[in-house]
Amino acid sequence: MTVAVERRTRNVTAALLASPSLRLVGKRLLMAIPITLGVSILTFWVLNLVPGSAAQQLLGVEATEEQVRALEREMGLDRPAWIRYLDWLGGAVTGDLGKSFVSDQQVTSLLGERLVVTFELVILAMVGSLVLAIPVALLAAYRPNRLFDRLSMVVSVSGLSVANYVLALVLVLIFAVQLGWFPAIGYVPFTEDPVENLRTMALPAAAIAFPLFCFYTRFLRGDLVDQLLGQDYIITAQAKGVGPWRVLIRHAFRNSSFGLITVVGLNLSTLIGATVIIEQIFAIPGLGQLMVQAINTRDMLVVQACVIVFAVVTVVANLVTDLLYAVLDPRIRYGSS
Amino acid sequence: MAAVDAPVATVAEADAPRPRRAWVRKLSLWVPAGLTAFVFLACFLGPVVLPIPAPVGGNVLESSLPSFSPGHLLGTDPNGNDILSRILHGGRASLFVAVTVNVIGLAIGGLLGALSAYIGGKVDTVIMRLLDVLIAFPSLVLTLAVAQSLGPSLTNTIFALAFFSIPAVARVARAATLSLRELPFMTAAELAGTPWWRMLLRHIVPNIAPQLITFSMLGMGTVIVIEGALSFLGLGIPAPNPSWGNMISEGQASLSATPDLVIWPSLALFITVLAFNLLGEALRTQWSGR
Repeated sequence: MTVAVERRTRNVTAALLASPSLRLVGKRLLMAIPITLGVSILTFWVLNLVPGSAAQQLLGVEATEEQVRALEREMGLDRPAWIRYLDWLGGAVTGDLGKSFVSDQQVTSLLGERLVVTFELVILAMVGSLVLAIPVALLAAYRPNRLFDRLSMVVSVSGLSVANYVLALVLVLIFAVQLGWFPAIGYVPFTEDPVENLRTMALPAAAIAFPLFCFYTRFLRGDLVDQLLGQDYIITAQAKGVGPWRVLIRHAFRNSSFGLITVVGLNLSTLIGATVIIEQIFAIPGLGQLMVQAINTRDMLVVQACVIVFAVVTVVANLVTDLLYAVLDPRIRYGSS
Repeated sequence: MAAVDAPVATVAEADAPRPRRAWVRKLSLWVPAGLTAFVFLACFLGPVVLPIPAPVGGNVLESSLPSFSPGHLLGTDPNGNDILSRILHGGRASLFVAVTVNVIGLAIGGLLGALSAYIGGKVDTVIMRLLDVLIAFPSLVLTLAVAQSLGPSLTNTIFALAFFSIPAVARVARAATLSLRELPFMTAAELAGTPWWRMLLRHIVPNIAPQLITFSMLGMGTVIVIEGALSFLGLGIPAPNPSWGNMISEGQASLSATPDLVIWPSLALFITVLAFNLLGEALRTQWSGR
């Protein structure tokens, strides 16, 4: 039996390696490197459009010209930008992102603790939006153009037009100020008090998740209804006497889930971008808050590191989406198109 | 899919084709069109025609009046400025930014995408890979960095946002041009010895324009939301000049005591973005031939 399993694994592996789409993913993997490099050059260039202001910022307005020059020399800011970039890049590949100008802490250690917080927020928002969107879309597609379907469409179209910072304030107004169910701002680490942690994360996660929920519901409902209306395999299943829920879930939804994965992957950069402003509103000590603080104090290495982390996460997420897609979809897995 | 990413993600590709009565279809186009026109008129003509005070330099004696006070329909803020006036003037800035950004994005992105697809080969690959770099980016993040680097101002906000609207438009333009290239009239025009720039301007641009304009309607909403986010973080239109983003941000401080300060500009933002989104949707349905 083990031999059979082994052979089967080998066959799948061989199919994976031979499939043209997998080679495409391999290419994408190689592409991720120049893309990340490009992003880091772009960030560095943008942040250096106004040279020397980091030293000026640190010393205040009253500093003399000489003091600023001296500090710039000390921080190495008097060197040409491209040398500083190569210097930074050399450090970055060995895991050293430099020191914060302001707090003199290692940037990597600053990032570490913040990253966990933002990661929790992103996961909560993503899982929350999907857990709600899938049943709502299924219910809506079960009877298209009926009351529930119409209602869910109205909600999702208007939900897509609400800015997340507005939504955040509305949520605070209702659930923190009026009802007092959740704290308006603040953060408690998960390791300290898991329940209190989830209470502090609930409103920020909801503010990020709601527009995504609307987007996923709309996408999934549209995809399901499209299939139900005219695909042969649906008609075959219905003709065989398969029940409507089973057709919807086993035949239509299973197929739609691939598209959904792609959409979730594509939306990840939106999701990550949203944490910047939401963390600011709810005073959550994540990566976004660190970045806004660093932008305001012109702490350039910290800003640079934050932007790179955001970009790398986006690139990796898109890669994982491609891979997942290739592994899950049998048409791609066996390379027959 | 969307380079200019925002809370308002690009609306889903697939919606069920379903037969609709003609008047419903007409209504779903004209209601958002009317709403959009109303928003533009209110913001650009409203402050000129209506007897409302200036958006800045209010009288401190009239500070923090509640909504529906005499002379101040939506009340005043803690500095004594009329809120309705601030919303209309802030709307001017938002709409101006959104229109300018989209025009720049359409012109540069559209030409770049069309040219890339028309030339094809290596040039196409290089242009598209470069745009991939920009698309890979959470654009709010770099827009923040740009805004901080250049200093908060209207022009810099426009530059930063336009930069990130280019790749998405270019992708749409490229896809549209690729499917166009195979059509007989293109071959005919090419055989007639039409120069490349004439091919581009006379044959490609008019044919991809509907798709691009539809896409830019959805882009309008996105830009308005991101501009609001920048102003909200204090990196967009600098105070005391009004913008919806900085009004919401100022109101946040006294959210529990005077929620009106947040509610009115939020409502203005919501209605405007909704109008653009619905208009974009309706145009797409119209042009996809249903």
